[in-house]
Amino acid sequence: MQDINVQLPNLLDQVIQSIPYFKAELALIFAFLGSILATLFVDKWWKHGSFVITLTGIIISFILSTQQLGAPQNGFFGMLIVDNFSVYARGILLLALLLCVVFIQQHFRNKKFSKNLGDIYSILLTAGLGLNILTMTSNWLLAFIAIETVSISSYILVGFFSENKKQAEASMKYVLFGSVSAAVMLYGLSLLYGFTGNLDFTSFEHIQGLIEAPKILLSLALLFMFSGIGFKLSFVPFHVWAPDVYEGAPTPVTAFLSTVPKIGALVLLARLFEEWTSSSFYFSELVLVLVSVAAIVTMLVGNLVALRQTNIKRMMAYSSIGHTGFLLMALIANLASEPQVLLFYIAVYTIMNLAVFGLIDVLEQKTGSAQLESYQGLGRQFPILFTVFTLLGISLVGLPPTAGFIGKLFVFSSVFDLFQFNNNKYYLILLIVGALTSVISLFYYFKIPLFAFLRKGEEVKVAYSKSAQLVYIISILLGISTLVLGIFPSILLSLFK
Amino acid sequence: MITLTHFLVVSACIFCIGLYTVIAKRNAIMILVGIELMINAAILNLVAFGKYDKLNYSGQIFALFAIVLAAASVAVGLAIILNVYRHYKTINPDNITDLRD
Repeated sequence: MQDINVQLPNLLDQVIQSIPYFKAELALIFAFLGSILATLFVDKWWKHGSFVITLTGIIISFILSTQQLGAPQNGFFGMLIVDNFSVYARGILLLALLLCVVFIQQHFRNKKFSKNLGDIYSILLTAGLGLNILTMTSNWLLAFIAIETVSISSYILVGFFSENKKQAEASMKYVLFGSVSAAVMLYGLSLLYGFTGNLDFTSFEHIQGLIEAPKILLSLALLFMFSGIGFKLSFVPFHVWAPDVYEGAPTPVTAFLSTVPKIGALVLLARLFEEWTSSSFYFSELVLVLVSVAAIVTMLVGNLVALRQTNIKRMMAYSSIGHTGFLLMALIANLASEPQVLLFYIAVYTIMNLAVFGLIDVLEQKTGSAQLESYQGLGRQFPILFTVFTLLGISLVGLPPTAGFIGKLFVFSSVFDLFQFNNNKYYLILLIVGALTSVISLFYYFKIPLFAFLRKGEEVKVAYSKSAQLVYIISILLGISTLVLGIFPSILLSLFK
Repeated sequence: MITLTHFLVVSACIFCIGLYTVIAKRNAIMILVGIELMINAAILNLVAFGKYDKLNYSGQIFALFAIVLAAASVAVGLAIILNVYRHYKTINPDNITDLRD
């Protein structure tokens, strides 16, 4: 007790000195409080009050985090890592969050319900806060808190509206599955803490402890730990919640769930992966094998099951599972190259997915359906929309001249370099499966232009809704940007230097 | 003399009971109870290991945060289950299958 009293002023000084590293997140916290208050008091007179506060908070947070570029620092006793990787990831994340806020505002603009939309903005801000922390930590305590923050916010996002049975069911499946994987992850983390006595997974004690730990228990602990991260990334076998939740949730919420949380979880996993696979001990091999096998199985399952879906949101859910497998492959490619390959793929994936879900949302508002058959013959009525949709499909498959192609090309060449370097058979299988599943994905993405342009359908009465306009414009712009980035990828790559 | 092993065995048992509850029970609230058991097993582990980490007590602190987070997620879970009951008049996950392949 004595020495704590002596240390205390010192510790407090360090905490106070670390606060500036946290200012981007502080902006989100203040915006969160502000949007709650605005929902209670301002929205009665000016209904966009909480919306504007949320947007301002995200933009301020974005500006503050870009200021941290180029000055790698540690704050809060090494719990918070502010390096360029985290700044870029937070940049992508906050911009995606911004678009999701706009999508949600537009989606519910003309709908009437008893609940207050302002609450959703504050929940989105807490999710953004958790994800921001996830990208800048190598400490299990902070990582667990961040994952739980994001998870709880996502449960509320899915369940909040519950206009119909499907949404209620989706939210229940999500909360039960998510809580179980969080509990399993916590048990795995407690075992890891027991082996090492240190919660920072990059620290010397942690790696030393992992080297000395008994193999069976270590394998169990790592599997448990991966179940938590796997739930957030939705890789196989922790993917079963994803199609149900993506189908049941309101479309803009699905756009959020399928992109933004994955960025945070992926950055955490990238830090872990880079630190742990550099040695040649048992746990390094195990982590490499686990991630490679998860990537292979995820790509196969996601793309094969997507073939037989008839609901476009469900199809995109499986497609995003398949892309998770590819993101894991990009993670492995990250070992051989600069982080810009991974960041480029994350950015492109985010753009493509947000655009696709934006267009699905527009079509859903105009035709009232998310079934693939309902798109029959719509190509003549919405020529621009379906042209961009097809372009996005091409980009998601990974064909030139789109950004998806460039992203996949970088990943494949990095993994091939790794294979030539150490002849590990897992890299070869990854390459083969990656190429094969890209071909498979061609078949289901091209169902969209097939139905829209080639099949004849009834002329659909289009409900003219003003609310879809802004989402429509944003999605078209995002779709065009995949083409621009495909022809000039250096725009984004030079940014990530 | 109660050693570390005793704590670990107890927590492993609690974890397995929780996992069994989650898999076997046909009631969403019982599943939440099972999740709570699993989290408490992990908390017991963390506190037991934390005894050997005299430097910065990270185990105990982790346990405290885990308790708070568990309470938060259970609160959200109960609200969502209540919502499901309003729509379906049952909370047996086996009967709630509108969304499936």
